[in-house]
Amino acid sequence: MNYTRILQLAIDKPKFVYSIVLLMVVLSLAMMPRLIVDTDPENMLSRDAPARVFHNQTKTDFQMRDMIVVGLVSENSIFTPNALQVIEQLSTQILQIDGVIEQDLLSLSVVDNITQEIDSQGENSGIRFEYLMKQAPTTLEGSIAIQQAVKRLPMLNNTLVSGDNKAIALYVPIESKDMSYVIAEQIRTINKSFPAELVADVDFHITGLPVAEDQFGYEMFVQMGIAAPLAGLAIFILLWYFFRNLPLIIAPMIVAMTTVIIIMGSLIGMGFTVHIMSSMIAIFLMPIAVVDSVHILSEFAEKYKTGDDAGDVVKGVMKHLYTPMLFTSITSAIGFYSLMLTPIPPVKVFGAFIGTGILLAFALTIIFIPAYISRLKPETLTKLHDAIKRIEQKRKLANALTSLGSFATQKTKLILIGFIALFLISIEGITRIEINDNPVNWFKADHEIRIADKVLNEHFAGTYDAWLVFKNNDTKNSTAGAQFNKILATADANSKSVKQINDFINADSNKANQSSFINQNLLVLLDDLSFSADDSEQVWLEQLVNIADKTFNDNKVFLDPALLNWQADFQQALLTTGLVGKSNGLADIVKTVNRELYSGKDKDFIIPQSSNGVAQTLLQYQSSHRPQDLWHFVTKDYQQSLLWLQMTSGDNQHTTKVVEWADNYIATHPMPKDISYQWAGKSYLNIVWQDAMVNGMIDSLLSSFVIVFLMMVFLFRSLKYGILAMLPLTFTISMIYGLIGWVGKEYDMPIAVLSALTLGLSIDFAIHFLQRARELEKELGSLSQALAAMFQEPSRAISRNAIVIAIGFTPLLLSPLMPYITVGFFLASIMALSALVTLVLLPALMTLFSKRI
Amino acid sequence: MKLFFTLLILNFSLIGFLAHADDLVDANEIITKANLASYYSADDGSAQARMIIVDAQGNKQMRQFTILRKDQVDLGDQDMLVFFSRPTDVKGTVFRVVKKVKGDDDRWLYLPALDLVKRISAGDKRTSFVGTHFFYEDVSGRNPAEDNFTLLSTDDNFYTLKAQPKDKSSVEFDHYIVNVDKSTFLPMHVDYFNSQGKKTRTLEVLKTKIIDSFTTVTHSKITQHSDGSYTEMQFRKVKYNLGLPDNVFSERSLRNPPKKWLK
Repeated sequence: MNYTRILQLAIDKPKFVYSIVLLMVVLSLAMMPRLIVDTDPENMLSRDAPARVFHNQTKTDFQMRDMIVVGLVSENSIFTPNALQVIEQLSTQILQIDGVIEQDLLSLSVVDNITQEIDSQGENSGIRFEYLMKQAPTTLEGSIAIQQAVKRLPMLNNTLVSGDNKAIALYVPIESKDMSYVIAEQIRTINKSFPAELVADVDFHITGLPVAEDQFGYEMFVQMGIAAPLAGLAIFILLWYFFRNLPLIIAPMIVAMTTVIIIMGSLIGMGFTVHIMSSMIAIFLMPIAVVDSVHILSEFAEKYKTGDDAGDVVKGVMKHLYTPMLFTSITSAIGFYSLMLTPIPPVKVFGAFIGTGILLAFALTIIFIPAYISRLKPETLTKLHDAIKRIEQKRKLANALTSLGSFATQKTKLILIGFIALFLISIEGITRIEINDNPVNWFKADHEIRIADKVLNEHFAGTYDAWLVFKNNDTKNSTAGAQFNKILATADANSKSVKQINDFINADSNKANQSSFINQNLLVLLDDLSFSADDSEQVWLEQLVNIADKTFNDNKVFLDPALLNWQADFQQALLTTGLVGKSNGLADIVKTVNRELYSGKDKDFIIPQSSNGVAQTLLQYQSSHRPQDLWHFVTKDYQQSLLWLQMTSGDNQHTTKVVEWADNYIATHPMPKDISYQWAGKSYLNIVWQDAMVNGMIDSLLSSFVIVFLMMVFLFRSLKYGILAMLPLTFTISMIYGLIGWVGKEYDMPIAVLSALTLGLSIDFAIHFLQRARELEKELGSLSQALAAMFQEPSRAISRNAIVIAIGFTPLLLSPLMPYITVGFFLASIMALSALVTLVLLPALMTLFSKRI
Repeated sequence: MKLFFTLLILNFSLIGFLAHADDLVDANEIITKANLASYYSADDGSAQARMIIVDAQGNKQMRQFTILRKDQVDLGDQDMLVFFSRPTDVKGTVFRVVKKVKGDDDRWLYLPALDLVKRISAGDKRTSFVGTHFFYEDVSGRNPAEDNFTLLSTDDNFYTLKAQPKDKSSVEFDHYIVNVDKSTFLPMHVDYFNSQGKKTRTLEVLKTKIIDSFTTVTHSKITQHSDGSYTEMQFRKVKYNLGLPDNVFSERSLRNPPKKWLK
């Protein structure tokens, strides 16, 4: 066997082995400073995923921004001179923060009010445009006047001011999502700087998906720095408890650290960003990297007698363990490599690097550990022997395992029935699994983001955005285009004007869509030409202007009163579902301005009867301090319009319900025009990648299950043993997911990834168990004797491993971030369960089978 | 000898410094002339205007309208009518303005599709003019009495003045710096700054043309620096001293545009 030579080399030339390992570690460490953090869940979709492309296109088309929501909440009415003064000052200071998009800030002190002007005789004398609150009022009456003004502005009511008048919000638009945390921190500093008497009755809250996601990213990296080393420490302490030999237990720690450093170093060095997923690589690799070493240490400690040559003993141990370790490593690696089948880029990276990390850990284990052990001083090894003796005297673990062994081999039918029952219960649990995720819930319930999220969504229409984009399908341009070309053909092709028009039509941007070259830019060009062209050309030029102008204006579908009324009805119906706190759209703007243009009374809160009426109403709306606000709801060519939905929950299930409701409504209430619709917004993107994640995980789990099964059949050269090997992991996975279903924990990103880990770790114990049991059966000539022997050293190694890793990950439970807690809890459960299932189910089944055959 | 040269140099530099003895030194006088040149050329006038609004993504919108203006008295009150012709859906929309040096301007609006005449009042004059980057005040002219002016410098071509609003609460800027052309007294470049000293907005004159002996701005541009969006305004068919009768500037013209004067 080739490995024998490698082993000999490692034992003979340990310094050579050490230098190579050291070199790799140093190289990897050198890569670390190039670390690029990526905390954007949007990257769960690949850059060219249609939903993501559309989302970003929508952001550009409608100048929609990522927003931080800042809320001031009071126990009583928030409309006091003090609170409004805070709002004014806060707005002014926020506008000075780098990265805040000034012109799109939404705050009482920068938005406009439209009212009726009443003259001294009480007669309605006109319409008045002005800032809603240029200066904070100094009196209570002034404050209440502002409260009443906001109530009349549907775009602001329940968005900037809560229905119960106890909260005021600011929507802070930011240039880029990854500035959220830094900007939020600056806002927090401003909030703290207000004199106590001014803010005695108000609480500040900051939320919004961009902040939640970016802050998660920040805290995640803090956790990476704390959780991974703590896990390492816990493993170290447990190893100490079992082996009481510092030099010896340093070895697995070195293997684990080296693996983590090299893998993270090469991930960074290869230019991959460190995403929420890849930040967990260290935590996932740590236990897996230790597992093989613990098997070796366990067996070495059992076999070594004082005076033995450490090198010889370790060679013997390695001969035993090499094959099962190789196979467990390959199967675990496959479990993770299968994640590359998912369509989610960060999950692919995660799977690829952990898979490779497992193989690296294996290589390090089989080369470094023997080299290391063989160089230990005899005194050190004597101490090890003493420690082992001490453990032997206590024999708690050994006794427990012996009785477990006799239970497993004697009560086989009971065990089988018990497992089948558990399995059925688990399946029932799995059917109860709720697939859901919400980045805000990645924080613990007492985290400031969670509290802000809860408080602000209690008061307001909702801090979670979804955007429903409507698009005109019928551009009516083709006949007009043909007519246009026909008239153009009558003109002298050599004239400068004709050339310019033809150049425009043939320009790349217009060529792609022959029928839509009739746009605003063409109108500007024709208008220019009507001044510069010869008099002789004016006749056909005017005809072209007329065609282009008419076509362009007829196409402005979102000025159509029938369509706007449909949208208003849709919004009204959407509100009655209770799923959406509020929706804002073009119809709201048109109705509000229309009302103020007429009487100011509710009866005039309607859409004008003609498209021109709508256009003229909107021209008025644009005569404000913030004309740009209009373009969040309709594009400048009136070909697309956007509804901004505010939801009180960011749960994916919630968004899914809204999407389904809309599909249904639109199917049963057809739009008056040929209009298509599509969703965008962060809440929507989250359900898209969640869907990809769930399906991807199922695919990857199934395919790796099949591959691992085939490998098992190949390894054991036996279908029976292949099936046996798969049983513990089948039970473990179904029980873990059954448990998730029964306790009502939602299936989210971390839970999904755990399936791969479960597969990798539970097969590990089964392989060791079956391989050793078969060897012992051959050696001892009887299965029952072999199984009895199995419950000596081999099962102790398995149990130690399970305990080390299970307990080693309890520090994760202290993390403020839910995914870490989830991973910690389930890692511990998976280890404990899969060890137990292996040690109980396998001997029982083997005994049962041998009786039958 | 050395002293002689020193004196000579000093002498020359003094001559350089006092280059033009006829330069104006009174900021208010400069601004009065600038106001006259910008908004009160001749006794009346008409022009066809085209505004092209370009957003940060390069999307364009066009507004076309005809302006009629008549001065009641130079540097005093003015009548103004703005008739929209494009986009076609707002065709026939009319603004009627009586600009008042003392007190708020009177403004009316006519929306043909709603057949509605409505008086408009605004808290301030720095709201957008029909969605462009021009403020209402940029079109009608800001009253010089609202700012305090100081002359910062004078060079061969321009007077550079700093203007600070008397009432900061009525405007969105902290101050503005204006370059007034020494020969025409047209403000050619105006930069607006916020209270952090950041330049927020710029008005530039891109083209002027002498029409009936009046140097007239025919192409100007206002840029919003926060996102680089801008509006260009072009005037065509500028005419002066048409002899517009007073009755053109009445409410009647809102519903019945005086076609004769709009060609």
